[in-house]
Amino acid sequence: MTVQEKERPLSKSEVAISDEHSATIGPFEAAVEHLKREWQLYLMLLPMIIWFAVFLYKPMYGLQIAFKDYSIFRGIAGSPWVGLEHFETLFANDQFLRAIKNTITISALNLLFGFPAPIILALMFNEVLNASYKRTAQTIVYLPHFISSVIIAGIVITAFSPTAGIVNTVMGWFGLDPVYFLTQPEWFRPIFIGTGIWQEAGFGSIVFLAAIAGVNPSLYESAVVDGANRWQMMWKITIPSILPTILIMLIIRIGNIMEVSFELVILLYQPATYETADVVNTWIYRQGLQSGQYDLAAAAGLFNAIVAFVLVMTANTLSRRFSRTSLW
Amino acid sequence: MMNWNLYSRGDKFFAIMVSILIGMFTVATLYPFIYIAAVSFSSGFAAQAGKVVLTPIDATLEAYGYILKDPQFWISYRNTFIYTIGGTVMSLAFIIPGAYALSRPQLKGRRFFNLFIAFTMWFNAGLIPFFLNMRDLNLLDSMFGIILAFAVNAFNVILLRNFFEAIPKSFEEAARMDGANDFQVLWKVFVPLSKPAIATITLFCIVSRWNGFFWAMVLLQSEDKIPLQVFLRHTISNLSDDDEFAIVQTAAGFSAETVTAAIIVCSIVPVLIVYPFIQKYFEKGILLGGVKE
Amino acid sequence: MSGVVLSKIVKKYGALQVVHGIDLRIDPKEFVVLVGPSGCGKSTTLRMIAGLEAITGGALTIDDRVVNKVAPKDRDVAMVFQNYALYPHLNVADNIAFGLRIRKVPKAEIKKAVHEVAEILGLTDYLARRPSDLSGGQRQRVAMGRAIVRHPKVFLFDEPLSNLDAKLRTQMRAEIKRLHKRLGVTSIYVTHDQVEAMTLADRIVVMNQGVIEQIGTPMDLFNNPANRFVAGFIGSPPMNQLHGFLEAGDSGPLAQVGRIKVKLPKSESLRHETGRPVILGIRPEHVTVNEVPGSFPINVNLDLVETLGSEALLHTDFDGMSFVARVETLGDVGHLTGVDTLHVRPDLMKLFDAETGRSLSLEAGA
Ligand SMILES: Nc1ncnc2c1ncn2[C@@H]1O[C@H](COP(=O)(O)OP(=O)(O)OP(=O)(O)O)[C@@H](O)[C@H]1O
Ligand SMILES: [Mg+2]
Repeated sequence: MTVQEKERPLSKSEVAISDEHSATIGPFEAAVEHLKREWQLYLMLLPMIIWFAVFLYKPMYGLQIAFKDYSIFRGIAGSPWVGLEHFETLFANDQFLRAIKNTITISALNLLFGFPAPIILALMFNEVLNASYKRTAQTIVYLPHFISSVIIAGIVITAFSPTAGIVNTVMGWFGLDPVYFLTQPEWFRPIFIGTGIWQEAGFGSIVFLAAIAGVNPSLYESAVVDGANRWQMMWKITIPSILPTILIMLIIRIGNIMEVSFELVILLYQPATYETADVVNTWIYRQGLQSGQYDLAAAAGLFNAIVAFVLVMTANTLSRRFSRTSLW
Repeated sequence: MMNWNLYSRGDKFFAIMVSILIGMFTVATLYPFIYIAAVSFSSGFAAQAGKVVLTPIDATLEAYGYILKDPQFWISYRNTFIYTIGGTVMSLAFIIPGAYALSRPQLKGRRFFNLFIAFTMWFNAGLIPFFLNMRDLNLLDSMFGIILAFAVNAFNVILLRNFFEAIPKSFEEAARMDGANDFQVLWKVFVPLSKPAIATITLFCIVSRWNGFFWAMVLLQSEDKIPLQVFLRHTISNLSDDDEFAIVQTAAGFSAETVTAAIIVCSIVPVLIVYPFIQKYFEKGILLGGVKE
Repeated sequence: MSGVVLSKIVKKYGALQVVHGIDLRIDPKEFVVLVGPSGCGKSTTLRMIAGLEAITGGALTIDDRVVNKVAPKDRDVAMVFQNYALYPHLNVADNIAFGLRIRKVPKAEIKKAVHEVAEILGLTDYLARRPSDLSGGQRQRVAMGRAIVRHPKVFLFDEPLSNLDAKLRTQMRAEIKRLHKRLGVTSIYVTHDQVEAMTLADRIVVMNQGVIEQIGTPMDLFNNPANRFVAGFIGSPPMNQLHGFLEAGDSGPLAQVGRIKVKLPKSESLRHETGRPVILGIRPEHVTVNEVPGSFPINVNLDLVETLGSEALLHTDFDGMSFVARVETLGDVGHLTGVDTLHVRPDLMKLFDAETGRSLSLEAGA
């Protein structure tokens, strides 16, 4: 019937062409084919990959000096192996042990005081009705995040100066004797944590504000219909709704417990406050970069990195369980 | 959702209390800056005696005169601009093409490359091997070394990659049908479409470069290469225990405190100028980054 | 022989094969529409023609050149995407000009070409606007402009109208048809909307699960579906398909369906097939409430009347099988609510093999 004609079967030559092209190609040929097509992509990727290899992976190779008696002249590969000697030295070193203790203590205090601050701030922002007031306040509280540690330290040093600083001036109004805060070990941690909150609480609230913005508005509407007040809504709706975010941020913080912002520590501490201020990275900095004990310092760094890695991976696994999406 | 007229008395009281608390926190955030500015414009004597609280006492520009006359201040200011601009350009030059390649499903070994990059966020060799590596590469005391060695970080790469991945595939395909190659697809389509993400990354780069201190201090020895932050640090620590300076300043109208404050003001001003422009990006930016592998 | 020729085209994603060796020849200037249910491989096929997907096996020739390994830009084809893929950062003129700019066409020529295209599509007043400031129909036009401006050998459309509302879709459909008449460029058009397929196509290709079920003119597919799938796919509501058996009657073959026997046209091939399970196909449009010449009555239980205006759909039950009729209302549905008898015409019925699903009438005719 006519259908045959309408389907217009292919001619012999056309079928022959097809046979010629349908021969399956081998994996090598396929790879060449692929590269010919997509070489530009690989070219774009290459510089970045080389960068990572040279600046982040090559130092990992250099980590082997943690197990070597490293000398500059013999180089990394040429220095003799000494096994775990440096680690034995480390764990017999009171200062290093103190640095670990300080790191964990400062992080824990930071968690206790620094972690709730942005959450409370975000919850408060959520209750502010006047949009321009809210906006202005947000603009201001985000600002310190963008200020360098050196300046932050400069401000702290100036403000806490025993003679000229505003803090002692105000204390003077109440008849208190001046205190030289930055030389007192017991004052280092409060100042450090307080500075951290001042600098980061505002910026940290962005994540929670976004979580709050994601809460379904009809929840509030039905709460209004049910006669709930704002305080009740905050506890019964807002906080439960952002709990997953809070949990994830908490897990991240715990994962980063070995990361105290040591740049600020270096800028604020002094030998008199090492007792409470010296953290692992500042210790490594002094041992390695200032005293030239590279191998011992690298061993401390390796220890630090492994602990941090385990913590971060654990945190990542946990947060995956809570959120189903992993954090980077 | 929220309507003042529908608020009960209790709710109104609550909202007002919260607004006051927010106001207090905002003032507390702002106060140190005001205080430092006030100190910088005060006389050295007033500052040293702790008289400055809110406004300049015995207003004077002598502290500024002192630092603006210091050639090292200008050299380091210039260097900071070089590091910031050079470093940001360098970062974008690595990250934009790299993130684009990583975002393309046709890239073979994509999982591996992604892991290769993400791994560096979880495991870091640390200060010492990084420093020794820089020495082996002959990049100590090198401006180019600073610009190159901190050009890329995994977080920014992943942020941009995620953004590129979210662009519908048909944009790439339409451009391809129109005859564009990968470079053209990236430059003429993806980059214009990703302005918010690129602005965010640019912002992060600029901020971290402008503020960069630790490695500049460790890696740079020559005075003519140090950035503003290192200069600032030197000045702060020198001023506070420099006897010679103590003698000079008693005669002059400035003190260690006012000079420190003046330098702080000088290095914050550019941040304050740029800040309003960048603000609209970083809120989105930090939310863009964190999610998904 | 020019045109677009697909021969034994195969597509695999890893181990998963989604297109199973399709053969298709599209003549120059022809408008061919690929239809089929979701996931049947229409887009994949189109994208292989575009060069956006690699061809796993078989050959694709465009104007006698095998283009399997030719990059999309060198195939001289243009594509209109479902979401239009208009560049939001460029205005209409620059969107249209994008491809020419990439190809380094001289500026004056680009300008002229863009204006010509804008003229054809009625976009002249909108050239300076961004896509975000255009209506859906205008965006659609810009997307077409971007394809037209390059004067390609082939236009490819992947569900270009599915983002428009019903009214605009009808309008744009007509416009595409007009444009094709005017430009006479070979066009391959993917849709799952059969009305679009019927109205636009010179020929329709019905695909299902990676194979071609039938190729033919719109009327051909409607009148002579090659198998149950096409019968069910083309036409709305779909053809009623009633299960039954072949029987030998006194004067020729009969189909026993439910309680009734239908006399079939005399046919050599069916003579000795007594007991063979078959499907009797009756289009809802071919059913009437009143007797017409040559029709015979069947008893049904009326289930539901759906009113469409000038017509109504009667959902009925015929011996336990659902049976739909599309009948005239003549402005009143009251008289339809009591229907218990419908009239069908044997000459318009189709017969399919219940096992293979193939049309028996066609076999008979061959
Ligand atoms: N990248 C891919 N990897 C694996 N399978 C795919 C891929 N792309 C498409 N498929 C599968 O190929 C089949 C055909 O897909 P295709 O997009 O061609 O369908 P379609 O006919 O266009 O459907 P629709 O009408 O929904 O657009 C589907 O089953 C789909 O799941
Ligand atoms: Mg499709």
